[in-house]
Amino acid sequence: MFLALRDLRVARGRFALVGVVIGLVALLTTALSGLANGLVNDGISGLRGLPLTHLALQPGAQSSFSRSTLTDANLEPWQEAAANQPGLDVSPVGVSFFNAKRANGETLDIALFGVAPGSFLAPREDAQAALSGDAGLVLSDEFRSTGVKVGDELTIVGVDTKVPILGFTYAGSYGHVDIAFSSLQTWQSLVFGDNPKGRFSAIAVRSEDDTDAALAAIGKRAGTDVETKVAAYAGSPGYSAESATMTLIRGFLLVISALIVGAFFTVWTIQRSRQIGLLKALGASNAYVLRDALGQLAIVLVSAVVVGAAIALGLGALVPAAVPFSLEASPIITSVVTLVVLGMAGSLVAVRRITSVDPIVALSTEN
Amino acid sequence: MTTPRNSAIQLDGVSVSVPDGTETLTILDRVDLSIAPGEVVMVTGASGSGKSTLLAVAALLRQPNTGTVSIDGVDTTGMKAKALARLRNQRLGIVFQSSNLFPSLTAVQQIELVAHIAGELDGEAKQRARQLLEAVGLSDRVDRLPSQLSGGERQRVGIARALMNDPAVLLADEPTASLDEARGRDVMSLLVDQARQRGMAVLVVTHSPDQVPGADRHLRLSLGRVDESRPADSL
Repeated sequence: MFLALRDLRVARGRFALVGVVIGLVALLTTALSGLANGLVNDGISGLRGLPLTHLALQPGAQSSFSRSTLTDANLEPWQEAAANQPGLDVSPVGVSFFNAKRANGETLDIALFGVAPGSFLAPREDAQAALSGDAGLVLSDEFRSTGVKVGDELTIVGVDTKVPILGFTYAGSYGHVDIAFSSLQTWQSLVFGDNPKGRFSAIAVRSEDDTDAALAAIGKRAGTDVETKVAAYAGSPGYSAESATMTLIRGFLLVISALIVGAFFTVWTIQRSRQIGLLKALGASNAYVLRDALGQLAIVLVSAVVVGAAIALGLGALVPAAVPFSLEASPIITSVVTLVVLGMAGSLVAVRRITSVDPIVALSTEN
Repeated sequence: MTTPRNSAIQLDGVSVSVPDGTETLTILDRVDLSIAPGEVVMVTGASGSGKSTLLAVAALLRQPNTGTVSIDGVDTTGMKAKALARLRNQRLGIVFQSSNLFPSLTAVQQIELVAHIAGELDGEAKQRARQLLEAVGLSDRVDRLPSQLSGGERQRVGIARALMNDPAVLLADEPTASLDEARGRDVMSLLVDQARQRGMAVLVVTHSPDQVPGADRHLRLSLGRVDESRPADSL
């Protein structure tokens, strides 16, 4: 890259300009990844935070708690398996959405998770104590911003049942609705009234060793479908549509980025056709010229994309807490690598031009 | 295939023609040319006579329709682009009409580039590049960009670049066309002197025969044919 590096130094204004454009695309792509991840996380953070590895649901429920109703008959085979297999824990869980009214008339949306006493789903001792006593709710920390506090009573709309607030935890949200925990009994009474018949939504499974196939076998005996926790995210309301939309937007941005890089590189190649011809006239092979040109582009592309992603990361730290924004190393690296790879792919349009420049142009008199 | 080594460059029966509507336009017509090492040959002719095409064929930048071109004993007929490029880099030096320097390279880097293309840019090559700049009188312009050099200085850098890989043949395409008469004569003298000192064959295409001092032969091209070939001093 004898010529490429010196071109970059001397024509730094021109390269800085295209670098800014590519950097802005990287910034936009990375920031959008942060927003997309934040939005998606916001929908499933509660489920993701629970210490379970799999969920057993009613067959055909398609990962959705609202489509799944199980009974003790389904639970018993799981409990037997858990009793015989160290490292396997199971716990029934009920999940429903409620609207709760505060004393001042303000209403709150709640994704209520009913958890059995002593369940591994509530590992903290204070949470266990709160959920094993009288009926009440342990709210996720997000509810603090509404002004509710321990001891307040909420009226569950529809069933007109009053439940006190017992405490707060870091539970997150499900389907973009903040989570609250109650005992399974409280949840059943709110959902089924006086006739719960031992019903609940799903069985949370925590397995340290069992393979998916082994768990599926237990699930089959129990008359349930078994899904991994990640697969169960799809059941969160809006999750699939949001993921698809964000993936599509990111895809468009990446394609646009590749087109921008391709267009720049093509124009740049046309502008320096004479220089390329001169290199060839001096004896440079096509491979030499391509190495030089593509190396130059790679330097601009990688620098601009890394700087753009770093700025996006910095801006992400300034985003207000109310806006869901989440960036982890993996999506950033994926965005950066994809942008660079697609940018280089976009430049392939110009490669043919480079190889087809005739060295005889070096003999023309035009300067 | 090889040809006798008494010619640094040899063209045998070279013809170049291009389609011109429904007819064929002959640019070079069965041209024979042989230049020995250390010999300086000047080619003149009116516009459209085929001078530039002759130079392009000699520089391996254009393949003739018929005939053969041999450089330093190597017949180039049927050679692939990569092999031609390597031969151009190692056995030919070309001085262009406009200096054709790279805007981002300093004077010494313009010369080093030739060695870099050959994959031989080591300390020795860098030293040689500086010596060549000194030989063309530009030892105080080593780190100047082309935009910081005069027209004559740029052309001197072009000459030094053409000499870098110690070629067998030096080809010059109207190297003084963009210079005034006095400066043009200086540049041409420098080119001829440097090439003679190194025993190179020289082919100079020019409009101004009086600007090539000490040329051994003068070829006049007319309608693609060599019209006359005689010692330059008999003009």
